[in-house]
Amino acid sequence: MRKIFTIAAREYRAMVGTKAFIFSMLMMPLLMFGGIFAMEILSQTGEIKDQEIIVIDQTGKLFTELSFAANQYNRSVDKQAAEQGQEEQAGKESKLGSIKKKSKTDGLGNFSRGQRFRLTLWDQPNVTEEDRFALSEKIRNQEIYAFVEIPEKIFNVDLEELIRDPKSLPVVSFYSEDSNFSDARQWLSVVISELVKANRLQADGVDFERIKKLSIPTPVKGLSLLEMDSRGQIQPGREKDDLTAILLPMGVMMMMFMVIFMAAQPMLESVLEEKSQRIAEVLLGSANPFQLMSGKLLGTVGGSLTILVVYLAGGYFLASSRGWTDKLPVDLVPWFIVFQILGVLFFASIFMAVGASVSQLKEAQSLLLPVWMLLMSPMFIWFMVIRDPNGSLATGFSFFPPATPTMMMLRMSTSATIPLWQPILGLVILLVSTLIGIYVASRIFRVGLLWQGKAPKINELLRWAFRG
Amino acid sequence: MEIRSVLPQSDGKTNRQYRMATDTTDNAIELNAVTKTFANHVAVDQLDLAVPTGSIYGFIGPNGSGKTTTLRMILRIFQPDSGSVRVLGQTKGRTADDRLGYLPEERGLYKRMRVGDLLKYYAKLKGFNDCQAHIDEWLQQLDASTWVNKRIDSLSKGMAQKIQFIAAVAARPELVILDEPFSGLDPVNMESLRAAVLLLRERGTTVIFSTHDMDMAEKLCDTIFMIFKGKKVLDGTIDSIQSRYPANRVRVRFADPETQLPFLPSVTESFQHGRLHMLTLRSADEAPAVLQQLVAHGELHLFEVVKPSLHDVFIQIAKPDPVELSA
Repeated sequence: MRKIFTIAAREYRAMVGTKAFIFSMLMMPLLMFGGIFAMEILSQTGEIKDQEIIVIDQTGKLFTELSFAANQYNRSVDKQAAEQGQEEQAGKESKLGSIKKKSKTDGLGNFSRGQRFRLTLWDQPNVTEEDRFALSEKIRNQEIYAFVEIPEKIFNVDLEELIRDPKSLPVVSFYSEDSNFSDARQWLSVVISELVKANRLQADGVDFERIKKLSIPTPVKGLSLLEMDSRGQIQPGREKDDLTAILLPMGVMMMMFMVIFMAAQPMLESVLEEKSQRIAEVLLGSANPFQLMSGKLLGTVGGSLTILVVYLAGGYFLASSRGWTDKLPVDLVPWFIVFQILGVLFFASIFMAVGASVSQLKEAQSLLLPVWMLLMSPMFIWFMVIRDPNGSLATGFSFFPPATPTMMMLRMSTSATIPLWQPILGLVILLVSTLIGIYVASRIFRVGLLWQGKAPKINELLRWAFRG
Repeated sequence: MEIRSVLPQSDGKTNRQYRMATDTTDNAIELNAVTKTFANHVAVDQLDLAVPTGSIYGFIGPNGSGKTTTLRMILRIFQPDSGSVRVLGQTKGRTADDRLGYLPEERGLYKRMRVGDLLKYYAKLKGFNDCQAHIDEWLQQLDASTWVNKRIDSLSKGMAQKIQFIAAVAARPELVILDEPFSGLDPVNMESLRAAVLLLRERGTTVIFSTHDMDMAEKLCDTIFMIFKGKKVLDGTIDSIQSRYPANRVRVRFADPETQLPFLPSVTESFQHGRLHMLTLRSADEAPAVLQQLVAHGELHLFEVVKPSLHDVFIQIAKPDPVELSA
């Protein structure tokens, strides 16, 4: 036991005492979550651009109303920017809250709000292909952002004709360099549709304003299930938000992935160094393969728990600075630790076996690919899982040992009730798999550590595992 | 090189005193009919070996002859397929023995660790927790005290080799296995390490010294053991080995550098190094006759019958078989 602890202590220090470890511990969350927050931050802190759009209104009736709608939209953009500035100064409102607020206020859809629309009417009586080309050139030269062409017959739709041929519906054409993703196109689509609808209804003698009032949608609020607290009092359902519905499960899943990855991956390099530098021979002259492998695994688990403590502390700090502490799933922490330890042991033993079987890092690539796929597998289906945490896909996959730590924690961090037997069964399956994994890996480790020459193929590894 | 006084152990006991408690035989290592096979390749074949306690035992043999496999069986990294391996009185067990120290060839050190931490780690791994004073003494002995806080990857090859040596002896082993300890060392460092090896012997430590450097083996070892194709081909003191091989080589120098070697029927092979001629005779008995012929040919400055060196013996044993070459 003493030797195991001596090896574990060195392994732990070698793992957490490097600049690379500290760097990757800081970088991993940035890589994982950075994209989400970067988009939001850029959309909020970025300068609001004016987008010049030329409107070729062949109906001769729409531009005035469109222009009015654009002014209204622009004012809401400016107002929102001003409100955000105040909120940031006050530092009270979360960014998530502000996203929710803006989608509620304007009723024109949820656009990025990074731009104002400046509409200019095309003042020529007709438009030719040469004109369209000239406007396209202006877009390429960044003189204008887009041009839109509204056909004359947009109000005069022949319904009989439309039933016979749905493709005969007149189409508004929008030209820009990013026409597929353009917010302006989406905004115009909503506004023009509304204006055309109002126009058609009025032409048919229907009171559009009255219909609009009567068509106000009835909201359906998502609430959590009622719970009974420790004093036996029933707690009302709480309104769910994006944080608890999406970000929290995603964060828990990512954290599990990060701690397993950051702890298990260095084992490959550690064993590879010991093998290639012939340190393994010195170590095996001092400790048997079981002690050596156990010590290294123990050190790795210690390292992974250190990462968890740092991330939990960081998460708590972030949550408390934003007033989200009540949303933290504290009751999941013990489960997380147990699943994490088993997950780290499972993957670290595989990485160690791979490290012991090869002589150079590049030889490990082909053996690592399936390991990587196993480790990352939950990431491919996580969104389906949070939509239906008790569905057969989510439930079945969470009993697949390599995915169990990540999948089970992903499911448990959603608001769905996961029957208690499932995480317990998951733990038992994972524990048995981990013990088998360590046993097989230790046999490969024992042979591979002293193996010199070309990297073994999978069938040779299996022979080592079964024959020792 | 002066050999400094015997280093006392931290608790005042010598290795010999430690050994007395555990080992009742005079041999540190005894191998009896040991065989080890990998797949279809017999790496070690029916090997017998006895290494006396307190001796410096040279292991020689060409690459791939079974040297490393034998060393690994002594270290208990490998178990023999048949036969028995008795090391420091213990015959059985898969557990590594803390009384053994091992220096692998060239490598064996964590590059990113600091010298002091690494030496302590290796000593503690052998169960010697109170190791600091002992390590400091060895660092001093090898003029390496100032390297304690240096990282291994910042050391030169010679410095790393010294640290590797200290790592092997840091836990006061009773038996040390040194695999090519002098490889790549300059003459100064070589002497310093040679003195350290002799110091180990003086303290009663048994040293197994595996090398390709025949000169160093001749200078340092009490006994030489040679393994070839898995079998023992030599085992004994330098003198006993030399006596088994005929002294049929003669070194000759003429007074006049222009004098050419005459045709001599008794000489099977000759080559020239500067003014020196090296002759291989058909038989050692023919040396007086050759001397007479050479004196008649020209004035001689030197005529010396040379005992076969370990190098010569090694080459004679390990040189490729003409049958094998033609196959």
